[in-house]
Amino acid sequence: MTETNAVRKYSTKKEFFKEYKKKSRLQEIWRMFLKNKLAVIGLVIFVIIVLTAIMAPLISDYENDAIKMNVSERLTPPNSQHIFGTDEIGRDIFARIVHGARISLLVGLSSVIIALFIGGIFGAVAGFFGGKVDGIIMRSMDVFLCLPDVLLALAIVAAFGTSLVNMTIAIGLSFTPKFSRVVRSAVMTVRDIEYVEAARAIGATNSRIILQHVLINCIGPIIVQVTLYVANAILTISALSFIGLGIKAPTPEWGNMLASGRAFMRDNAYIVMAPGFAIFITILSLNLLGDGLRDALDPRLKQ
Amino acid sequence: MDAKKVNTQENTLEIKNLEIEYFSDDGIVKAVNGIDIFIKTGKTIGLVGETGAGKTTTALSILNLVPEPQGKIVSGEILLEGKNVLTMNEDELEDIRGDKVAMIFQDPMTSLNPVLTIGDQIAEGLEIHRKISKKESIKQAKEMLELVGIPGDRAGEYPYQFSGGMKQRVVIAIALACSPDLLIADEPTTALDVTIQAQVLMLINELKDKYRMSMLMITHDLGIVAEVCDEVSVIYAGNILEHGNLKDIFDNMLHPYTKGLFDALPDIETRRSELKPIKGLTPDPTNLPSGCPFHPRCDYAMEVCFSVMPGNKWISSTHCVQCHLYKDTDKNML
Repeated sequence: MTETNAVRKYSTKKEFFKEYKKKSRLQEIWRMFLKNKLAVIGLVIFVIIVLTAIMAPLISDYENDAIKMNVSERLTPPNSQHIFGTDEIGRDIFARIVHGARISLLVGLSSVIIALFIGGIFGAVAGFFGGKVDGIIMRSMDVFLCLPDVLLALAIVAAFGTSLVNMTIAIGLSFTPKFSRVVRSAVMTVRDIEYVEAARAIGATNSRIILQHVLINCIGPIIVQVTLYVANAILTISALSFIGLGIKAPTPEWGNMLASGRAFMRDNAYIVMAPGFAIFITILSLNLLGDGLRDALDPRLKQ
Repeated sequence: MDAKKVNTQENTLEIKNLEIEYFSDDGIVKAVNGIDIFIKTGKTIGLVGETGAGKTTTALSILNLVPEPQGKIVSGEILLEGKNVLTMNEDELEDIRGDKVAMIFQDPMTSLNPVLTIGDQIAEGLEIHRKISKKESIKQAKEMLELVGIPGDRAGEYPYQFSGGMKQRVVIAIALACSPDLLIADEPTTALDVTIQAQVLMLINELKDKYRMSMLMITHDLGIVAEVCDEVSVIYAGNILEHGNLKDIFDNMLHPYTKGLFDALPDIETRRSELKPIKGLTPDPTNLPSGCPFHPRCDYAMEVCFSVMPGNKWISSTHCVQCHLYKDTDKNML
């Protein structure tokens, strides 16, 4: 019944199929994604976190709850008024978590995107062409790889000055070598498969082969790497903030809250639990989301 | 048919004295040692030989796709419609690949990209060479699919949704999308079961005639040769030992190796007779025997075979053999 209606809507059968196919491809991915219950849970949680970050001013008052000192209420355990309790100078932890989500998510995601983009280009080129190109690119990446992430990010921030943008770029750059390694090894497993040769045999250029045929087959390990490194990025922000090169003091940020709460952890464990849990749940949702996305995008796994 | 196909050149492809070597840790692998292949426009040449004889390397060299840096074309010329493929730059090569010369790969399971729809994969060549929009190329891709016997509206499906024989049809559709002048079929039916083999061969033959293509059919199956080829070259250890038309090779074979190949086939008349395999193994390509490469396995080997490489002996205007057992009988062919 629906079929006949659909055919009627499009004047010819051919047109119907064209329309039908185009839609069904996205629908197919969505359908596959929905099958994976854990991935759907991940998506729901992540959407809630993002919405919270966007609507933070509606949920709690930035100036009064998240920033203003209130010494009389310092270190209050969770209660009906402060559901996550208050920190060492009486600020409401819930309000700070909600507002902190903005910076943590923004910096975490965008720095990983930077790393993925730059590292992806270098890694794909190195892995695809091999030989001297590979040698030069990967050896220079190795130089950066031997410095710890935080130290490298720190050097970059120190050189360019502290600001949100600089910090994002610094964290992104410090992750770049790791992404280039992952992308390179994924590309190397794909580049010798016959379909790459077949693509060359129909006259595809190298850039076309890399983008159309190689990277698309490497999406699995790349997505996993992305979801793991968002967590790393959030923790790196806190490390930078800790030595005063990241987020400035009153501004709430998850890593920052975790770091400053450490001194009070022994008697008031709740103070680190809330930001820790926020980071944990964000990463978990991203991991689940990433896994589901990877499976849904790979037509081979469709049954 | 169209202007492109009216060709003043008699030969679509001329390979002259081609030598290809691979460099490995164990030494230099002499994969192809001075072979000549001429394909007349509209004709099909079969390249027959055992595994490792240099068939696929020869095929790849026509597209200048011999894997570098291990592989190197040491000498020779490959003239495609009069132009030397080996001296072209990368841009010119990309222009001929898929447009003038297309290749059907051996294994349809691995030669299709698993994450792209088959419609996209057929359309890709069209997009590259015909400079047409995505929409138009998808439309043409669907027509190609119909041509190889797959419903056009399956273009949005992925390779895993097709069976082996269907996949090979898709591979054929990709190769033929730009109606090339020369089709290289690298063991197109090896990965398929026998009933599907016949279908795919018939399809290739039919389309070849329809588009008036020349074809290089690489195979180790003499049955396929009899079915689709006009001429046959028997290749062994990178040398063409015998070349001739179907009648020459099937009814009047001369080279001991060709005879050996036919003796190794089951005979439908005397089913009980035992098969006679050729004694020995294909030589190690890093260490080819001196003289005629086949002499260690040859029942007729003479003194001279151990030291001197026999040249081409022309038996008739179509038939030539590299063997000391024969003398030139058709001098004016030299």
